[in-house]
Amino acid sequence: MSGYLAGLLAVLAINIIVAYSVFVPAAAGLLNLGAAGFVLVGAYGAGAMTALFGVPLWLALVLGSLLAGTVAFLISFPILRTRGIYMVLATFAFAEVVAGVLLNIPALGGAAGLSVMAYAGLPLVVPVALCVIGFVAWLMSTRFGLSVRAIHDDENVAHLFGVNLRSTQVAAMTIGGAIGGIGGALLVHQFNFIDVQSTGVLFSIYVLLYVLMGGTQTVWGPLFGAVFFTLAPEALRKLSELDPALKFLESSRYMTFGIAVVLLMMWRPQGVITRTMIERLAGSRKPVAADAGAAA
Amino acid sequence: MSSVLELAGVSKSFGGLKVIDDVSFAVKRGSRTALIGPNGAGKSTLFNLISGVYPLDAGRIVALGTDITDMAVPKRIGHGIARSFQNIRLMPHLSTLENLMLGEHHRASPWALARGARATANARAVLAQADLDTYPGQVVADLPYGIQKRIEVARAIMARPSILLLDEPAAGLNSSETAELRRMLERLSESGVTLLVVEHDMPFVRTLCDHVVVLNFGRKIFEGTPEEVHRDHGVLEAYLGPAAEIPAGVAHAA
Amino acid sequence: MQLLQQIINGLMLGGILAFLAVAFTLTIGMLNFLNFTIPALFMIAGMTTWALSSSGSHMFAWGWHWAWAACAGITLAVLASLLIERFTYRYMKARFGDATEHALPLVSSLGFLIVFEHLAMSLWGADPQRFELPFKDSNLRIGGLIFGIPHLTSLFLAVALVALLHWLLTRTRIGRSLRAIAENPDAATLMGVEVQRIVPVVFVIAGSLSGLAGILYAASYGTVTPFMGDAIATDAIAGMVLGGLGNIWGAIAGGLLVGLVKVLAISTFGAEIEKIPVWGLLLVILILRPSGLFGHTKIGKGKF
Repeated sequence: MSGYLAGLLAVLAINIIVAYSVFVPAAAGLLNLGAAGFVLVGAYGAGAMTALFGVPLWLALVLGSLLAGTVAFLISFPILRTRGIYMVLATFAFAEVVAGVLLNIPALGGAAGLSVMAYAGLPLVVPVALCVIGFVAWLMSTRFGLSVRAIHDDENVAHLFGVNLRSTQVAAMTIGGAIGGIGGALLVHQFNFIDVQSTGVLFSIYVLLYVLMGGTQTVWGPLFGAVFFTLAPEALRKLSELDPALKFLESSRYMTFGIAVVLLMMWRPQGVITRTMIERLAGSRKPVAADAGAAA
Repeated sequence: MSSVLELAGVSKSFGGLKVIDDVSFAVKRGSRTALIGPNGAGKSTLFNLISGVYPLDAGRIVALGTDITDMAVPKRIGHGIARSFQNIRLMPHLSTLENLMLGEHHRASPWALARGARATANARAVLAQADLDTYPGQVVADLPYGIQKRIEVARAIMARPSILLLDEPAAGLNSSETAELRRMLERLSESGVTLLVVEHDMPFVRTLCDHVVVLNFGRKIFEGTPEEVHRDHGVLEAYLGPAAEIPAGVAHAA
Repeated sequence: MQLLQQIINGLMLGGILAFLAVAFTLTIGMLNFLNFTIPALFMIAGMTTWALSSSGSHMFAWGWHWAWAACAGITLAVLASLLIERFTYRYMKARFGDATEHALPLVSSLGFLIVFEHLAMSLWGADPQRFELPFKDSNLRIGGLIFGIPHLTSLFLAVALVALLHWLLTRTRIGRSLRAIAENPDAATLMGVEVQRIVPVVFVIAGSLSGLAGILYAASYGTVTPFMGDAIATDAIAGMVLGGLGNIWGAIAGGLLVGLVKVLAISTFGAEIEKIPVWGLLLVILILRPSGLFGHTKIGKGKF
C-alpha cells in the first residue's frame, strides 16, 4: 500500500472515531460543538504519557481515553443544566477553555505543540476504529440505546415511561468523551504531533457537520459522514489532476462541502442515512401476522 | 382495596388561574370510568397531575393503597399507572416495536438487547392482540393517524398497568377504528385492568363505561352512571348554557 | 497609567465586538437563530472594501475611493445576508419537535460560513492583506492616553446604532411587527403581520451591522484575511451571552466587557492566557446564569 493511501486510511479511521464521539450524545439530542475539547484531552494526555513518562503506547491509549471520559463525566453535570442553543454554546466554551488551559502548560509545549516519538500506524488505528464502530453498534442496540433515542425524540414522555434522564444523558456524554479521547490519542501518535491550533474551532465544526450530514438516526450515519468528508475532497483533488481545466475542483473542495451542507439542511435535514432508508434496505417492512395479507 | 385510584381535595393553579379546584373521586377496581367535561375543564391537567408531570398544590392522590402524591415521575409507571396522550406522543423516529417496548422499559435492564426475537417478543404479542396489522419495523412517523393512536394505547398496555389513563383515545378515529378501539379496551377491562378515559365521544362513553365523572372549570360537578349524567341539569348547563336556553323535552332525553 | 491605557484599549476592541454582538443577539432574539454566517458577512465587507479600493494584481482591484468601496462592501454583506435568509432560514420548519431541530439553521449557517470563507480564499488567497485607510493611525491624545479614532468612531457608532435600533423596535410599525414575530410567529400572521416580508428586515440589519463592523475593524487594525471573522465573532458570541441573548443593550455591554477582559488578561499574563478568562467566564455564566448579566428575551423551543 502506498504511503499516500496508508495516510489517507489512517486519517479516515481517526475521523470515524471522532465522528462516533459526537454521535453518541447527538443521538440523545445533545449537540456538541466542542468535539475538539475531548480529542485534545485524549491527545495531550496520551502524548504526554508516551513522550514524558515512557508509558507503552497501548496503555497510553487506554489512559488517554479514561482521562477524556472522566473530564466528560465531570463536565456533563454542569453542561446538562443548559439546553438547546445554550448547550451548544456551553460545549463550544468548554472546548475553548480546554484549549486555553493546554496552551498554558509549558511542559506540553504551549502554543508550539507537543511532539511524540511513539507511532501508531494502520495496524493499530484500523482495528481500533472497527472496535469503536462495533461497540457503538452494540450500545445503540441495547435498552440503553433505546433510552437514548427516546430522550432525543421526547424527553418528557421518556421520563414518564421510566427512563432516567439524568443518568442516560451523563452516560452518553461520558462515553462520547471517552471515544473522543481514543481518537485524540491515536491522532497524536499517528502524526507524532498535536497542537491546539490545528484541532480547534474549525475541527469541532467540521466533525459536527459531517456527523449531522451523515445522519444521527442510525449507527451508520456517522460512518457515512466521516467517509464522505474524508474521501470526497481527495476524490475531487485526484479528479482535478486529470486535466488542468478541472483545477477548480481542487480549490473548491471546501466550498463544495459547505454547499452540500446547505443543500442537505434544506432538503434532507435528518441526514443522508435515515431509519427509513435502513429499514427499506433491510427489507423489514413486513406485516406482523404471516396470514394478514392486507396492508394497513 | 376496592378503589385503585383516589383523588382527595386535589387542587392546582397555574399563575393566577385555578385549573383544578378541590376535586375528589375514587375509581373502583375493574371499573371503566369516563372523565368528561367541556373543553378547558381540566381533564388533561388532572391526568398530568396523576402522572406526576405537575406537582399538586393541595390534596392527595392514592393509587393501589399507596400515597403517590410525592412519588417521582419515573416510578409511577412501575406502580401500575400508564397513560396515553391527547396529542399523539409517540417517538417519531422509533419503530412501532420500539415504541411499544418503551412501555415495558421500566422493567428491563439497560444492557439487555433491544433487538432480536426475544427482546421484541412481548411487543409482537401485544401488536398481534391489538390487531395492528402494520409494519413492526416501520418508523411510526410514517404511519396513518388512526394506527398511531392505537399504537399509543398499545404502548401503555405494555406496561401491564393496574389502571390505564386514556386521554381522548377515540379522537380522530373513524367509526370502524373506534369500534376496534372499544373492543380492545373491553378485552383489557375483562382481563382486570381499570380504565379511566377522558372522552368527548358520548356514544363511545355510553357503550364502554359504567361510571362517569364530570368536570367543569376545574370542579367536579357530577358523578354517576352514564344515564344519570345524561339527565343531570348541571351537566347539561355546563355543555349547553343556562337553563333558559335548553329546549323543553331535552332534559328528559335518554 | 499603563492600566488605564489598557482599559481604554480593551474598550476600543469592545466597541467593535459590540457591533457583532448586537448582530448576533438581534438574530437570536428575534428569530431563535444562532447565525454563524455573521463572521463571514463581517469578512465580506472588510475584504471587498480592501479589494475594491486598492490597486494590485488581485481580483477586483479597481482602485476605487475607499468610501465607495465601503458602500459596496456593506451592500454585498447585506445581499449575502438576504441569500442566507432565503436558503437557510426559510426552509427551517419544525418537523417533529425533537431535541435537535433548533440546530438546523445553525448548521446551515455553518455551511454558508465555509462557502464564503473558501470563496474569499480562492479569490484572494489565504494571506493577510494590508489595508491602510487614511485615518488608520490617527489618534486622540488626552493626558498621555491614546484613543484610536477608528476605535472611538466604532464605539460611538455602536451606541448610536443600537439607540436607533431600540427606537425602531419600540416606536415604529415595523418594530412592533418584528417583536410580534419574535413572541409568536403564528399569532403574528393571524394579526396580519406579513412574516415573509418582515423577517428579511432582521437579516438586512444584521448584515449591515456586521458589514460596518468589518470595515471599522479593517480601519482600526489594518489587515484583512478570509478568516478574519472567526476569532472576533467567537468573542462577539461571548459578549452576546454575557449581555443576555436577545438583549441589544446588553450586547453592547457584553461586547465591551469581553474586549476589556481580553486586553487586560493579555497585558497582565501574556497572549496565551486569553481564552481562559473569556470562555471560562462564559461557561460559568451559561451554567449559572444563562440569562446573562442583564437578562434575556424569551428564547427556546416552540418559538418557530
